[in-house]
Amino acid sequence: MAGVNGEVSWFCCGNSWGPCGSAGTGACGTCHSGKFQHAWPNTSDACYSITRPDRCGVTAMSRRTCGFRHSTTNLCNGARVVTSIADCGPQTDLFCGERACCGGTCASNRIIDLTPAAFSAIASLNAGLIPCSVNVG
Amino acid sequence: MTGTIGRRTLLTSAVLGTSATLVGATAMGSLAPETAFAARAQLPEPGQPDPNFAEGRVVSRDGSVVMASGSDGRLHRIQLTGGTSVWKLRPTTVDQVLVGDGLYARGVLMPGGLLAAESVWVNIVNLKVHITAIGKNVLYLDHNGQKVVGHVVPGTSAAVYNGTAAISDLSMLKVGKHAQVIGAWRPDTNEVDLATIYAAA
Repeated sequence: MAGVNGEVSWFCCGNSWGPCGSAGTGACGTCHSGKFQHAWPNTSDACYSITRPDRCGVTAMSRRTCGFRHSTTNLCNGARVVTSIADCGPQTDLFCGERACCGGTCASNRIIDLTPAAFSAIASLNAGLIPCSVNVG
Repeated sequence: MTGTIGRRTLLTSAVLGTSATLVGATAMGSLAPETAFAARAQLPEPGQPDPNFAEGRVVSRDGSVVMASGSDGRLHRIQLTGGTSVWKLRPTTVDQVLVGDGLYARGVLMPGGLLAAESVWVNIVNLKVHITAIGKNVLYLDHNGQKVVGHVVPGTSAAVYNGTAAISDLSMLKVGKHAQVIGAWRPDTNEVDLATIYAAA
């Protein structure tokens, strides 16, 4: 897979506190906020039918299944983290065309969600949404 | 990387009570979380828990040491120092970490299991939501079928419309639209204080 630029955010999983209390362990059954993991929008036909990145013109999201490794690079600071697939997501088509920027660097469309442990390794959690590059890890 | 290593060394020294002082931290540069994320070697394998990260609910606090019960059953001991950056709806001080709060913490795991915290995010939530209604200083949200009440905090809550700079004008938010909310959970409720709302214009 060639590197894909887009937006990265974070999500909780593993039934932790607050609104994450019923988050569950994800499509792969292994997801936990404290692990280096991510959600990927094309883990199965069923997953892809929900996330539909193609509706946003993002067609480079190869089919990858639980445990596959991707690297995510924060385009704001160059920090990189390698994680494995634990869930289906993000729902790209809900935010078609959305853009995240830092300084003069921008990227469009949500292509990956990281766990809090992974996201906080490359950015502050309160940043919420940042431009990134995703590649095979 | 020198700055990051230096900062980590400083945190470690602060926890161990060696001669480094937190006055030195500010001389090394900003203590904001963003400065701590320059590329560093990845410690855990993908898919594995990060020993330098903690998630959980604060069950006790003894001075600057916080005990947090993780959802994976682990009990984390987290050392707060003057160099720890704390976010609780906004950047704040270590005294705002309270029993009952939920938190995520990143730092350096010390021998003996104490996590010297570089950054702590208290009650932070990141919710993909559907806006179901808008009231005076409040947004009614649906998050995966759960009703969430989002409180607008004057002077703090801001919206980012499609990558633009955050602004305090929330008037372009629309009922029926999707949004993403960074906020601070009010413990043991379905309510959050709104920090940043990402939405289409």
